[in-house]
Amino acid sequence: MSAVSFDAGESVAPADLEEAAEALREAASRHRTVSFLGGGTELGLGYPPQRVDVLVRTAGLTRIVEYAPADMTVTVEAGLTLAALQERLEPQGQRLALDPPLATAATLGGLLATNAFGPRRARFGSLRDLIVGVSLIRADGARVRGGGKVVKNVAGFDLPKLMVGALGTLGMIATATFRLHPLPAAVRLLRVADCEAARVRALCRASVAAQLEPAALLALRAGGHYSLHVLFEGFEAGVAEQAARFARLAEASGAAAEPLEGAATLAALDREARVHGSVRLRLAAPPSALETLDRAALLPLEAAFGEARAVLYPSLGVAFMGGFPADPAAAVAAIGQARAALESVGGHLVVTEAAGDVAQGVDPFGTLPGSFALMAQLKARFDPERRLNRGRFLGNL
Amino acid sequence: MQDLAEAVPTSEDLAAEFAPIVGARHCITEPSELRTYECDGLTGVRVRPLAVVLPASTAEVAATVKAARRRSLAIVARGSGTGLSGGALPVARGIVVGLARMNRILGVDFENQRARIQPGVINLDVSRAIAGNGYYYAPDPSSQSICSIGGNVAENSGGAHCLKYGFTVNHVVAATVVLADGEIVELGGEHADALGYDLMSVLVGSEGMLGIVTEAVVRILRTPELTRTFFATFPSTDEAGTCVSSIVAHGIVPAAVEMMDALAIEAIVKATGVDWPLDVGAALLMDVDGPRAEVEHTAAAAVEIATSCGALEVRVPKDDAERALMWKGRKGAFAAMGRISPNYYVQDGVIPRSEISRVLREIAELAGREGLRVANVFHAGDGNLHPLVLYDARVPGEARRAEEVSGEILRICIRYGGSITGEHGVGADKAVYMGELFGDRDLETMHWVRCAFDPTRSLNPGKVFPTPRLCGDVPGPYVAHPSERSGLAGRG
Repeated sequence: MSAVSFDAGESVAPADLEEAAEALREAASRHRTVSFLGGGTELGLGYPPQRVDVLVRTAGLTRIVEYAPADMTVTVEAGLTLAALQERLEPQGQRLALDPPLATAATLGGLLATNAFGPRRARFGSLRDLIVGVSLIRADGARVRGGGKVVKNVAGFDLPKLMVGALGTLGMIATATFRLHPLPAAVRLLRVADCEAARVRALCRASVAAQLEPAALLALRAGGHYSLHVLFEGFEAGVAEQAARFARLAEASGAAAEPLEGAATLAALDREARVHGSVRLRLAAPPSALETLDRAALLPLEAAFGEARAVLYPSLGVAFMGGFPADPAAAVAAIGQARAALESVGGHLVVTEAAGDVAQGVDPFGTLPGSFALMAQLKARFDPERRLNRGRFLGNL
Repeated sequence: MQDLAEAVPTSEDLAAEFAPIVGARHCITEPSELRTYECDGLTGVRVRPLAVVLPASTAEVAATVKAARRRSLAIVARGSGTGLSGGALPVARGIVVGLARMNRILGVDFENQRARIQPGVINLDVSRAIAGNGYYYAPDPSSQSICSIGGNVAENSGGAHCLKYGFTVNHVVAATVVLADGEIVELGGEHADALGYDLMSVLVGSEGMLGIVTEAVVRILRTPELTRTFFATFPSTDEAGTCVSSIVAHGIVPAAVEMMDALAIEAIVKATGVDWPLDVGAALLMDVDGPRAEVEHTAAAAVEIATSCGALEVRVPKDDAERALMWKGRKGAFAAMGRISPNYYVQDGVIPRSEISRVLREIAELAGREGLRVANVFHAGDGNLHPLVLYDARVPGEARRAEEVSGEILRICIRYGGSITGEHGVGADKAVYMGELFGDRDLETMHWVRCAFDPTRSLNPGKVFPTPRLCGDVPGPYVAHPSERSGLAGRG
């Protein structure tokens, strides 16, 4: 869990969407700033809000508005946790194909606002690929919607995707509609232990070349090496064949792939690495620059952090690292160097959680994108008084 | 800055303005030559632009936009002009920026699975260029042999295989964009998620109203190891619809599932010569793809399900040539309508997949009441209907009745919780229905997005939004550009 919390003047927990809209209308009429709180798992992301007059908690907004198993779509209120949703979908053999850590605490609203994801992103994409509709409560308290409840729809501008990763600075996510996927009938998890970064990259490439379609690839960093985990999902005949072929690819590269028990193992390994440390980072680079990510970012960061843990999604070029830096100045310097190295290859480094001197010493996001002026315009149109999560977003929007 | 909002520039003025930017050959002001650009695939509505400018680079697009802005001219970007909703319909007091000359694939990065391409590149040419390396570009609108990537981005084009692989928006990760003020901006992130708001996603499908894409970075996918296709016929669309639902309920995600009703089959057989039976009520054409063993399993399971759902016959193509012929039949369906009717309206509505049978019956009853026939050929897997309302323009009143039926079909889609467009876009054709699908506040919120990008509303005015809206000033430190005050009138 995040160690961060917001100090708010007032806290409200609306029992339904109309009460939530009323809370935002009330705040608008009194020019009060508003922040939102779901499961509180990613409060460290972004700058701390500059002022929180009203904290709107979504704990009471947990309804499943509509679930249409035959259409494989579901509409939920923002405060529903991912685990509660999956529990409801499971008896129908369906799931939301999203696997961030902390599914029991994290809410769909919070996951959307932070664009959270897990290792299955390699196969199913991120929330922008899964959301098909959204309803919002705007800064002025008006309830509006975009997209719809059908999976294919190009009517109007794509407000649902615009909300993904916006950290609640354009409006409060009230409900969201997602496309669902079938639960796999069978899974296979394989591990290739003790790989160097170059071998991780080579095995990823070989897997693509062999036309294998893993559901997830995850490399845990330990002692400067990685143990690469590959997950196959599908029907028994398919996963058995894919796993056997991947094992042969590993063997051909001089390594051995051993079978592990179950997908729960993968989730646990991912969580242990990602939900760890007083300072946490998300790093990104092109998959072809995996060695840069390894040598110019993870290696020096590991040296500057105490008890560091890191996990890599190699086919996505994304890594997460956390630890307890004993020397904040050294950690700040290492983060700066790693960020420069990643930005030089087209990647980035986001500080997803930090405290004390480290938080003071580094910007959470790094270099502003060239489109920042447009983003500022967008914010100004949606929230002209800058009352929603004031200052928390990129560029203190 | 000149304010010429009232004066319509002459051909000579326009040539003097734009020819120095793109060269005289690429600046069209002759009325006879302008006729080519009067409409896109929505041929019933025509507007002659003042000029057509054909730039060859991002810099030329930017200079063209700046020049148009100096003269307060509206700007309509155009790719191949195959759009079916009038998204590239010109504006009378405006220019068309045609991007057909920007037709190069600038680079392909196989390891990172990305290609950087110019907007005038033809959709199918992307896949053709990389097929030898075992890769392809997934979005496959039926017009893919002629439509351009720039147009695909503007309309968020789909296609048969978006059931499994998603739409254009799921495949475009970054773009170089010329904004309404002529500034050049990079959106999205070539590899990792871009920081900040997801402007890339909102640009895709914005129908040319937020910016002009001059380069796009798209995902390219490894060709699946195996594709299995089958064609199955049914007594009626009810059994075919049940079959689709049942396949999906068994946990199978087909790459594509297309349905054709009896009338569509008749037209396709007449036009393409495929040997499909004419005494059936409906047919399904389905692809499953992926790793070999997985596909062998799912294909066998799907055939079994089709049989248990009452399929009259299931055909599996014996080779790639036969498979290609089956798909050619499906992709040529719209064009085939000419064999069974002098005229037709193409509609594009979406409903929840589970409602297919009921909605098709309602559509048939509606058409029957008006004495018209409707052929259906559509993406059944995602509930994206393409009813083709057949009529004879020579019969007085029939065109009007067909248009009414076509519009009423959209209302049925809305009533069933669907949408007025799944892939053709709103454009000029369906703007009037947007107010039935969305509330005024919803549209106002979408309009804010437009104002953030284009406060003067110079880019493709009159599309998507049903009623005119002004942008107004942005309060606070974000000062509007001075030329905003010379903004254009007109719907939207």
